[in-house]
Amino acid sequence: MAAVVSAPPSSSKTETYTDTKRRDDVRRANILAARAVADAVRTSLGPKGMDKMISSASGDVIITNDGATILNKMEVLQPAAKMLVDLSRSQDSAAGDGTTSVVVLAGCLLRHSLSLLSAGIHPTAVADSLHRLSVRAVEILHSMAVPVDLSDRETLIKSAATALNSKVVSQYSSLLAPLAVDAVLTVVDPSHPDLVDLHDIKIVKKLGGTVDDTEFVKGLVFDKKASHAAGGPTRVENAKIAVIQFQISPPKTDIEQSVIVSDYTQMDRILREERNYILSMVKKIKATGCNVLLIQKSILRDAVTDLSLHYLAKAKILVVKDVERDEIEFITKTLNCLPIANIEHFREDKLGFADCVEETSVGDGKIVKITGIKDMGRTATVLVRGSNQLVIDEAERSLHDALCVVRCLVNKRFLIAGGGAPEIEMSRQLGAWAKELQGMESYCIKEFAEALEVIPYTLAENAGLNPISIVTELRNRHAQGEINTGINVRKGQITNILEENVVQPLLVSTSAITLATECVRMILKIDDIVTVR
Amino acid sequence: MAVERLFKDEATEEKGDRARMASFIGAMAIADLVKTTLGPKGMDKILQSTGRGRNITVTNDGATILKSLHIDNPAAKVLVDISKVQDDEVGDGTTSVVVLAGELLREAEKLVNTKIHPMTIIAGYRMAVECARNALLENAMDNKQDSEKFRSDLMKIAMTTLSSKILSQDKEYFAKLAVDAVLRLKGSTNLESIQILKKAGGSLKDSFLDEGFILDKKIGIGQPKRIENAKILVANTAMDTDKVKIFGARVRVDSMSKVAEIEAAEKQKMREKVQKIIAHGINCFVNRQLIYNFPEELFADAGILAIEHADFDGIERLGLVTGGEIASTFDNPESVKLGHCKLIEEIMIGEDRLIHFSGVEMGQACTIVLRGASAHVLDEAERSLHDALCVLSQTVNDSRVLLGGGWPEMIMAKEVDDLARKTPGKKSHAIEAFSRALQAIPTIIADNAGLDSAELISQLRAEHHKEKSNAGIDVISGGVGDMEKLGISESFKVKQAVLLSATEAAEMILRVDEIITCAPRRREDRM
Repeated sequence: MAAVVSAPPSSSKTETYTDTKRRDDVRRANILAARAVADAVRTSLGPKGMDKMISSASGDVIITNDGATILNKMEVLQPAAKMLVDLSRSQDSAAGDGTTSVVVLAGCLLRHSLSLLSAGIHPTAVADSLHRLSVRAVEILHSMAVPVDLSDRETLIKSAATALNSKVVSQYSSLLAPLAVDAVLTVVDPSHPDLVDLHDIKIVKKLGGTVDDTEFVKGLVFDKKASHAAGGPTRVENAKIAVIQFQISPPKTDIEQSVIVSDYTQMDRILREERNYILSMVKKIKATGCNVLLIQKSILRDAVTDLSLHYLAKAKILVVKDVERDEIEFITKTLNCLPIANIEHFREDKLGFADCVEETSVGDGKIVKITGIKDMGRTATVLVRGSNQLVIDEAERSLHDALCVVRCLVNKRFLIAGGGAPEIEMSRQLGAWAKELQGMESYCIKEFAEALEVIPYTLAENAGLNPISIVTELRNRHAQGEINTGINVRKGQITNILEENVVQPLLVSTSAITLATECVRMILKIDDIVTVR
Repeated sequence: MAVERLFKDEATEEKGDRARMASFIGAMAIADLVKTTLGPKGMDKILQSTGRGRNITVTNDGATILKSLHIDNPAAKVLVDISKVQDDEVGDGTTSVVVLAGELLREAEKLVNTKIHPMTIIAGYRMAVECARNALLENAMDNKQDSEKFRSDLMKIAMTTLSSKILSQDKEYFAKLAVDAVLRLKGSTNLESIQILKKAGGSLKDSFLDEGFILDKKIGIGQPKRIENAKILVANTAMDTDKVKIFGARVRVDSMSKVAEIEAAEKQKMREKVQKIIAHGINCFVNRQLIYNFPEELFADAGILAIEHADFDGIERLGLVTGGEIASTFDNPESVKLGHCKLIEEIMIGEDRLIHFSGVEMGQACTIVLRGASAHVLDEAERSLHDALCVLSQTVNDSRVLLGGGWPEMIMAKEVDDLARKTPGKKSHAIEAFSRALQAIPTIIADNAGLDSAELISQLRAEHHKEKSNAGIDVISGGVGDMEKLGISESFKVKQAVLLSATEAAEMILRVDEIITCAPRRREDRM
């Protein structure tokens, strides 16, 4: 490569030429690979988008419509394609929804930049105009946005419903949307009104029933059955709940130990001692009035033994064992209690109170439900049901999207029309703006303004409409000042999309456009792929 | 008569011209590889790892690219090394140094082809470098006295450094961030106390500077989430039972109650340890290792905030910024130095909860939280910001400033040219060549921007023929511009380091006339 005998730098025309060729090849290959990724998810955009079936290496099958999930499972190798996968992941973490749109948008921006590049425009010039475009586009989106009030539950539900419309579970959107809104509003802390931690919302999946049976539980749900020996309670009212981090089983030291038994009488004694040991523990627990025990999972020893279960059952204490350590924080926050790590510290003031703890059977298994919690923390639990594992998983993903949408609204309280309306409006305004600019920038921005039309185009295409007539019509209507006109996929025509209640949070749109442009700029600036260790 | 073989079987030997040729080519290939990343319109590279996971890195940073390359050519390795040294010493100019060394060798190769002895070239280069350095010294500006001006100098330098990186679009924002961070350091070059935290999500503009320290950990359950006037004990100790560390040690007992007793004794030991820790009069305890449930509860009961499993880097930094020492025994509370800070609270960035220590003992400590679309963006942003921080912290110490945009190179080239004319003998060829190599840097910057370099450089040279010109390449408008007006500045220290180490490396490679490759060491099982 460098073996070329160099001419003086001022006349290195030939050398630069060959070099540029290689760089262009790399760039072209990157763009093509990234576009291939975008094309793969293109058809899943919009309410009439199709789903993808992905069978993973281990033989699992996933059916989904969620862009981030599809891309995550695709396991692409090409570096630029990988960047697109990351892009959708970031959109997922930033906004939670619009993961497909962002990739489709990036793919289309790349396609248009390819034609700009072949016109001989320097990649950095293209990249710089893209940045200006994104700043301007965000301004346009802001000007279109409608403020929303958190107390306006109806509007929140509408936007959650829009997010759900494109999913498998769309027919249940009337159920899931209010559920998502309620869940998020429950966990909003009045002292930090614009912060929502989605970790405070727990989604429990349970096979059986249909998605219709999905419910929002004001309390806790464990996807476990209560451990009980014969006669143990499965329903406790006025429960006093203890979360314990020790085990009710024979003692075990951290240092290795062995009990030596030399004769039969000794064995009897040991058995008796063991019984006494456990009995005394159970008595201590009972003495505080506790009647529900949640036991943290331990890898070192059994949480409960048959013997201790027997005693606990006699003491009318309901036991749930093998609670994961990660969940302890969530549980203690919900129950407003403290975890207890040692029997010595078992005091009444560490207990939580609830009206009812019961084991109910759903589908093929059983769950433990705790409801009517006194002084409940700001958490929520959603029990997702479905007729098969695939539906449940997809329902969970969809619900997550809906939750994110509501969270976005809490963070940034603006709504924007859906159905391709903002994209067309951006495209129109940017196109007009491009005419005011000069030189290279004007040319690039004009090109990219057209690229934005990909979203309504794809929406129409996926819905089986004629994309060209729809997009031109939309353009026409927007030019006449009807900025909220969009595609109504259900009716298959163009309507004022705000009136149709198709709305999405502003944050989803703004983050889609900024993230997509940032990613495209990065891909454009790459001129070489180097293999390293 | 054949000479007996000197070396082992697989060892090879290259001599004279061949050796020189091999090292020239190797060095030039490396220089050409990173050449396109130079300047504000330089391009990025994807580094694709061949290891597991095939991770990719997107970068524009010369040092990062070179560090990760597979290199076999010894001369190329020398260049990689100088770029590494440049990175450690001054932080920026890692690409420039390699490119300049490459250009010096390219020129040297031509001279060698015209039968000029390498030693003569070296002598010429030495004279030229001295002269170039003096030219830099004469033209450097120093605004140390005027703090207002000094700050604007820093801003300019930071913006110039960042303009070639991913942060170029928001360079003003990040330049301000970096300058603020570095000015907090008050002259120390210890970048340890500036913590850079990366959190995916949001956009680069959402990044911010925060005073104090942020730890990416969780607070134990049931413990206070907010502490004012915290006394912090930073520790690295095992919080489980002390195990007997002899293999196979075990206790033998003959009854269950004795097992229970031992268990109780173990618990008691843990409790004692916790009590000893509490006896330090602290209200925050940070441990590098796990804190188990039992001690956690004890801490919660005592109203102490306990953070477990903080990483090594985290606790060292925490110790540094809060002024505490890392303790591992707790028998004499007097001798343990506690850390202090005004406020500990939980904050939320993106989707994660983090712990924020503010009002720390070491006032200069601060945290820069970077936000960005993806991990690639974040990593690259961190590298860029790190470069800017390095340069700035160097500039705070050595406040001399030069203009950018190829201006220093042109100044040097002019002086070196003058010297060549005054110098009799073959050396003058080498000096001339040096000046050409210097001019290659603006040429490459122009080329990368897709500008007509030949035209621009000749204009620039003509411009510099006048006294006290501020002309340089204005990449944005694509012409020759006044660098002072455009506010493009570079740190003197960086330029000087580029000049000196590039020349040194070139000299070293020039001296080579034989390469001996030793036989690779055999590996028994593999291959």
